[in-house]
Amino acid sequence: MEFKVRAYRFNPEIDDKPYYKEYAVQDFPGMTVLNALMKIKSEIDGTLSFRRSCRSAICGSCAMKINGISKLACKTQVNPEITKFGIINVEPLANMPVVRDLIVEQESFFDKIKEVRPYLLGQRDDEEHYKFHALKEGEKIIQPVYYKSEFQNLTGNNDTPNCILCECCYSECGGVVGNKNYLGPAALAKLYRYSEDPRDNDRNGSRLVNGSKPDGMWDCVHCQACEEFCPKGISPVKGIVKMHEKAIKNSINFSSGAKHIISIAKSIGETGRLDEVKVAFDTGGITGLINDLPMAFGAGLKGKIPPHQA
Amino acid sequence: MISYAYYPGCVAQESGKELDNATKFVAKKLDIDLIPMPEASCCGGGVIDGFDKNLKLFINGRTLALAEKEGLDILTICNTCTLTLSEVNEELINNRESLDKTNEYLAQIGLKYSGKVKIKHLLYAIRDDIGFDNLKKKAVKSLKGINIAPFYGCHILRPSSVVKFDDVENPQGFEELIKALGGEPVSYVRRTKCCGFQTILVNEATSTSLAGNAIFEAQEKGADVMVTPCPLCHLSLDTYQTVAARSINKKLSLPIAHLPQLIGIALGGDYASMGFSRHNVSLRPVMAKIRQNEI
Repeated sequence: MEFKVRAYRFNPEIDDKPYYKEYAVQDFPGMTVLNALMKIKSEIDGTLSFRRSCRSAICGSCAMKINGISKLACKTQVNPEITKFGIINVEPLANMPVVRDLIVEQESFFDKIKEVRPYLLGQRDDEEHYKFHALKEGEKIIQPVYYKSEFQNLTGNNDTPNCILCECCYSECGGVVGNKNYLGPAALAKLYRYSEDPRDNDRNGSRLVNGSKPDGMWDCVHCQACEEFCPKGISPVKGIVKMHEKAIKNSINFSSGAKHIISIAKSIGETGRLDEVKVAFDTGGITGLINDLPMAFGAGLKGKIPPHQA
Repeated sequence: MISYAYYPGCVAQESGKELDNATKFVAKKLDIDLIPMPEASCCGGGVIDGFDKNLKLFINGRTLALAEKEGLDILTICNTCTLTLSEVNEELINNRESLDKTNEYLAQIGLKYSGKVKIKHLLYAIRDDIGFDNLKKKAVKSLKGINIAPFYGCHILRPSSVVKFDDVENPQGFEELIKALGGEPVSYVRRTKCCGFQTILVNEATSTSLAGNAIFEAQEKGADVMVTPCPLCHLSLDTYQTVAARSINKKLSLPIAHLPQLIGIALGGDYASMGFSRHNVSLRPVMAKIRQNEI
């Protein structure tokens, strides 16, 4: 079968603006989108640029938008895409500037990963043998490593360590679309992974305190796109929600996001219902109320705010 | 006649009363018996597990048990209620420990849940239980020539492991419904994206820019009206539309209808009975265009 690949093209050195170019490709059984792109590059147009490496869905290099959704090109088969969309439309990932064609600038993504300190903090005092020391005669090296199943049992966290940093979640994240400074799902999944690790020596809860600052975990819009489109089956949003619960239970509730959830729980506890006006007041306080006054006034005029609450 | 335990959710009973009324109007026309659930509580607004996961299980387990007691499936008209109830249902069906824990709590109030209830959103209940052909037969007004932008929202589609109504990558249920009513579905990228409602009180700028961009795109594609199956999306898109316009620095003026209001109009409802006066952006231009079809 011959099918069409419609590729986003943009070389900032020579192009004024992006454009799309179509290529006709002959398929073979089991052909992936990455196979198709490599065929185009070697046989039709050597200037088409994209990242790729392992071809086994483990390096995360070939993430791109395929028919509008962020996917790994090496893990996506041509046939089902053609059946559903009739074409292979490839574009660079969203939420990051384009370097050239399907290649995006990853700096902002990795800066955010670094920001959550994706490594174990300090060393636990109770684990003397883990401390660096010269080996005595006959002593074996004991590495502070948990087997995957052991880690899962200890933390209930069986997915976030599988992250390959492919940026599919970051590209689909509603929170990042609305706020370029938002940490995003991958960084927050990392934060969750380390905040749950029993080897981590975060005595004063600094991980959750830092994660609660503006642009952090309370800015998640719960759009579920990170879970839906992760090629490795990870659910960053579930990790984020678990961090919310842990933060509130540890009284890390200075953010308006935490106040919002506490107020909803309180409202349900008191009346069984969600009292919209009360929750709005509890979350934003006086400032929030004043900011929203024109909108609230308009809504009140339309009968949207019940008179007993206004 | 088909019966459901009717779970309108909190917003449709307070700021979005017009949605509740339109749903009842549509149900009557389509011979759907909506059995009220006066004892049901809030689902937790999609964020309650961030407070306490057990609370989410118990309050929604209770709602499911109330429906099961009546031998009914639950009909929802809110995306977030649909997802939250479905998530809890999945968990109670697949996780014995969660079910036992929930039933221990339910036993104290004389209830028990065994996992028999199904959650259906009105959009897909009409598709699967009534049929778009039947809907078409009952329509008295055509929406011919009206460009309708369907705004799915998130929680009716994602995660598809829990809400399994439609194809998450390219859903068509909403478009099929619009076509059945004679309308022209507007194709635009942000139809399945987020409206930002969940953080509207936490980070208004993020939220309203999401809503604003979706409205702007639909407007640019020539939409006369945008329709949503979720009252939370409606708040973001309609009530906050002026704020959204400011946050993306564009001029926005797109009427936003609730899904049952659109169906209601086709089934003979008018401006007043659909409660359009409660909307921020006027639907009069759309209604005028629909009236032209009758002449």
